[in-house]
Amino acid sequence: MKKATALTLVLLMALALFAGCGAPAENSASPSSSAAQESQSAAKDSYTVAIAQYAQHGSLDNCREGFIDGLKQAGFEEGKNLTIEYKNAQADGGLNNQIASALAGTNPDLICAIATPMAQACYNAAGKANIPVIYTAVNDPVAAMLAGEDKMPTGNVTGTSDKLPVEEQLKTIRAILPEAKTIGILYTTSEVNSESCIAEYQALAPEYGFEIVTSGVNSTTEIPMAVDALLPKVDCLSNLTDNTVVSSLALILDKANAQNIPVFGSEIEQVKLGCVAAEGLDYFKLGQQTGAMAAKVLKGETTADQMAYEVIEGSSLYVNSEAMAKLGLTLPESLKDRVQEAAA
Amino acid sequence: MTIVLGIFEQGLIYAIMALGVYITYKILDFPDLTVDGSFPLGAALTALLITNGWDPFLCLLLSFLAGLLAGAITGLIHVKCHVRDLLSGIITMTALYSVNLHIAGSSNVPIFNMNTVFSNPLVNSIFPAEMSAYVPIILLFLLVLLCKILMDLYLKTKSGFLLRAVGDNNMLVTTLAKDSGSVKILGLALANGLVALAGGVMCQYQHFFQVSMGTGTIVIGLASVIIGTNLFKNVSFLKATTTVLIGSILYKACVAIAISCGLDPTDMNLVSAILFLAILVLGRLGGKKKVKLHD
Repeated sequence: MKKATALTLVLLMALALFAGCGAPAENSASPSSSAAQESQSAAKDSYTVAIAQYAQHGSLDNCREGFIDGLKQAGFEEGKNLTIEYKNAQADGGLNNQIASALAGTNPDLICAIATPMAQACYNAAGKANIPVIYTAVNDPVAAMLAGEDKMPTGNVTGTSDKLPVEEQLKTIRAILPEAKTIGILYTTSEVNSESCIAEYQALAPEYGFEIVTSGVNSTTEIPMAVDALLPKVDCLSNLTDNTVVSSLALILDKANAQNIPVFGSEIEQVKLGCVAAEGLDYFKLGQQTGAMAAKVLKGETTADQMAYEVIEGSSLYVNSEAMAKLGLTLPESLKDRVQEAAA
Repeated sequence: MTIVLGIFEQGLIYAIMALGVYITYKILDFPDLTVDGSFPLGAALTALLITNGWDPFLCLLLSFLAGLLAGAITGLIHVKCHVRDLLSGIITMTALYSVNLHIAGSSNVPIFNMNTVFSNPLVNSIFPAEMSAYVPIILLFLLVLLCKILMDLYLKTKSGFLLRAVGDNNMLVTTLAKDSGSVKILGLALANGLVALAGGVMCQYQHFFQVSMGTGTIVIGLASVIIGTNLFKNVSFLKATTTVLIGSILYKACVAIAISCGLDPTDMNLVSAILFLAILVLGRLGGKKKVKLHD
């Protein structure tokens, strides 16, 4: 009887796994390790690239699609000479390591890691097998110890940074709101990207006559109170690429608009939701740039440890004229020539 | 091969944590949620100390002590303030989130290229370079073995017997003229000490601290304990502590196989929960039958 129970348990565990196998992830071609080895012996006419993404999020998804497109432009096309295995950790810190070591275990030609914690986990897991890691959407590779002060990699790892154009953001806010004195920024205490961004904001703000007021939250549930507390103290809000804050953006916009306080964003998706304007990067382009770097490594033109990490050149300005009109704001002449309308 | 090594390495690290959960869940019968906070607590302290050039082995000891303190606080809240067991764990866990951020100074602290227990002049001089891939697993195995043996020895002492008595029969402890409250506090402290030790090891293994790394620790711990103790409960030559270690490695293996099979990580928690519930229910059924047989 006891043996039967134990046996049932084992069967059940096997079944649970099998059920999992029946539902392969989208985009996942699930190549086995033998397939990876075959591709290596076949004189490099087919390649395997593993993509490990930290969380499911508009910008990060754009990064991934851009990366795949960047590879395609360089002659590596999924289904033809490229197999892509994609895993997403859904922002679970524990799952990160598991995914990184599972992907490294299939011995791909290259691992693309999206966002800081995943880049660190992949570098750690792939370093042992000396698989090159190309990261993207890492705000500060130097602080993450993926690169030294000279921008050169600390190991077989390089990629692109999604550092926000903080100075351009300040310039744009000043141009649209000539009278404003304080900028409020909401951030999550668990996101290191936001911390480094705020430090830069605080360093540059006095040059443009601004004072920065920040409010940190630990989770989505604290956002309504934090917004209510912050709004009376500020003339406008600036929204970073903080995942938790961005996911509550609709609520923040609601509360801010009720008090006639404009909210600035950091990427196009935020403007579509109702931010008045955003000086930000195009994550798809960032992904493409990353894909081009990965292609160089795959072609053997260079190795990851020889390439400095890159930042995207120039930022784009997106506005939502509907949102601006509601708040009685007008676009200054100086910005009109480079603006892109992004109202939904 | 990398996958198998990864399973054993991570399984062994979480095994130390599971030993702690075994003390609270199985011995004390106390559902302790402090672990979600004490695991990153050990990691935060380790990251801070390693960045400042401290000895990595000393860091582990200090992580253990920090966890000891965290567990004792949960115990004090429960015993002295008469707060329910589940709630006292939640209170400490919530507080630890802020404490961890303060200790580490940032939500993400990398410690790449610094001395860790897995890579330092002493270890590198003992093991030849070609063995470097196997250094973590050897060291982890020794560390886990040490924790297990110490725990087995402790459970045989008078204090260890009292600990087991509190979970089984609170009244017995009182009739022995011992304070069951202080025994509980001691048990919680020891348990969280082990959990924080595991967090410290994890930090050195993955080379960074991330404030969210403790999320779901209790699930991994409970799964390891339940899988281990239920699967091997009739294998009399295995000590309960050994079955917990095997349970931890088995659980990690299940997760790794599921990921390799192409399980969408979106469904990971759901599959874990179903597995979890099934093992609990089946384990209970088995337990009931056992009682009947003895009657």
